[in-house]
Amino acid sequence: MSTVSTLAAAEFRGISQVYGSSVAVDDIDLQIQRGALTTLLGPSGCGKTTSLRMLAGYLKPTAGSILIDGVDATRLPPEKRDLGMVFQSYALFPHLTIAENVAYGLRIRKLPAQDRAARVAECLELVGLGHLADRKPKALSGGQQQRVALARAIAIRPKLLLLDEPLSNLDARLRIQMRAEIRRIQAETGLTVVLVTHDQDEALEMSDAMVVMRAGRIMQTGSPSEVFTRPANRFVADFLGYENFLSGPDGGLITVRPEHLQVRALDGAGAIDSSVGADGLLVPGTVTSVAYRGTDEVVTVSAAADVTLTVALHRGSQSAHLPPLGPGDRVEVSAHAGDVIPLTEA
Amino acid sequence: MRSRPVLLGLAVVGYAVMIVPILFVVVSSFTAGKTLSFPPQGFSLQWFEKALSYTPFIDALGSSVLLAIVSTILALGFGVPVALGIARGRMRSAPIIQSFFVSPLIVPELVIGLALYQQVMITLRLDSFVALLIGHIVILLPYTVRVTGATLALSDTSIEDAARGLGAGPWHTFRTVTLPLMRPGLISAALLSFITSFNNVPLSLLLQSREFRTFPVTMLDYVQQSYDPMIAAMSTLIMAGTVVIAIIAERTVGFARIFGGINQ
Repeated sequence: MSTVSTLAAAEFRGISQVYGSSVAVDDIDLQIQRGALTTLLGPSGCGKTTSLRMLAGYLKPTAGSILIDGVDATRLPPEKRDLGMVFQSYALFPHLTIAENVAYGLRIRKLPAQDRAARVAECLELVGLGHLADRKPKALSGGQQQRVALARAIAIRPKLLLLDEPLSNLDARLRIQMRAEIRRIQAETGLTVVLVTHDQDEALEMSDAMVVMRAGRIMQTGSPSEVFTRPANRFVADFLGYENFLSGPDGGLITVRPEHLQVRALDGAGAIDSSVGADGLLVPGTVTSVAYRGTDEVVTVSAAADVTLTVALHRGSQSAHLPPLGPGDRVEVSAHAGDVIPLTEA
Repeated sequence: MRSRPVLLGLAVVGYAVMIVPILFVVVSSFTAGKTLSFPPQGFSLQWFEKALSYTPFIDALGSSVLLAIVSTILALGFGVPVALGIARGRMRSAPIIQSFFVSPLIVPELVIGLALYQQVMITLRLDSFVALLIGHIVILLPYTVRVTGATLALSDTSIEDAARGLGAGPWHTFRTVTLPLMRPGLISAALLSFITSFNNVPLSLLLQSREFRTFPVTMLDYVQQSYDPMIAAMSTLIMAGTVVIAIIAERTVGFARIFGGINQ
């Protein structure tokens, strides 16, 4: 166990945060892998930002301890933790120029003027804003302010870089660009990054490790592909866009991604029994709607009394040689055994 | 503006009502005659000379400026920490504390003056400068607490968090981040306090003494006894001073921000 904790850049041990009668974070254990980008993912109120603020030192945990580089930092104020934080609102100092913003933490560290200037230039170059050094934050666009906030946090060579919903205030196109940008910066600097987001696409694309949270608890931890292909429970599956939930053979819950379902028109009245088992899934039903979504066609099938299945058909593959389906058509929905994922209810 | 003739008309009437009487005073102060009348008889600066050499005015002006400066500084000294506590202290009682410090606005100043007269001057036998100073600080606190508080409430607390995260201790954060963020509010509060203190009559009526007389009351006394153009000349000088302060204020912070702060 001791080797594991020295490997982790940061560690939560039994961390709780309680406000009055509401529990924001409920006894979580967490290890942040050195040199990796870890995402805390979940809906609002799941405790992800609270966890980040505890890691940064802005909130004292009600219980538990926080280790940074294997050293207990639970009682350290933020200024003693050496972490670089990027806030959702960027939080640049409005009265200082961009260069002075980036230099702020270096002045406190009493870096000689020459080294300071060099570091500021290097960090602004890293985010591609060297030419704006003398402007004030107000003169910059949201995306540029975001980069300054990144440069300012990186300049102090932090033990961890903490990003609180860094992309949520940017427009859609810029957001996609910045995902790659942050990954590039992380790769170039080798920093350990903790990112908080409610956007599952962002988490899937950017993370080395994902921590899915709900109501102050950790629901699942793993690499994006582990979490995406094998969600541990209904909540994680729901959050990652799974839509089809059925009872399995042993009474447990199973799910299949919409794109892993096939649909076939049934001719005649030949009723078939639904079967969900080790050899896959086969369910009869009635089409309730067909929606055209560019490359996909989404067919909604009402199967049993309270089971509705969503099937995503990729146009040009399965659906091309099939006759078009319409509401009211009797169909049979099937999936291969390998695509059927068992879940625990949570 | 051309699409709103009624509003424009009201604005013109409003400004006219405020400015025209003042213009009468300013113009009549340049009279060469002996009485305060309009139109003035000829042009001279004689009443300005008289005003500037009339010691009761000059003494009272000095007293009022001193009182305004000291009470403004002290009101800021008390008010800013209170505003910080309310805006940043995460206290459940913050709204109550805020109401408490704003409450002097609804207490008649004569009542405050009377209380101070009884307690400070009669019971404690302190002199009238101390009593006036205490009274002025009380009536200025609502402005300093509210105006600096408004600037703080509008600023993003994560800016201060960012400073802490970058390694600044609480005091360094206050000095290098919070204080610069508060600057417009501090200037507004200082100007408003200075003007409020300088113009105050009710407290002076009760608390001033023969040794310490404030300017507005001295003017009032003078007008009651003699009605000559010297009072107009003095008023014109004060207005000139006010205009200079106003220009500085507009250049540094802007009026909208100064007076906007009260309503936020």
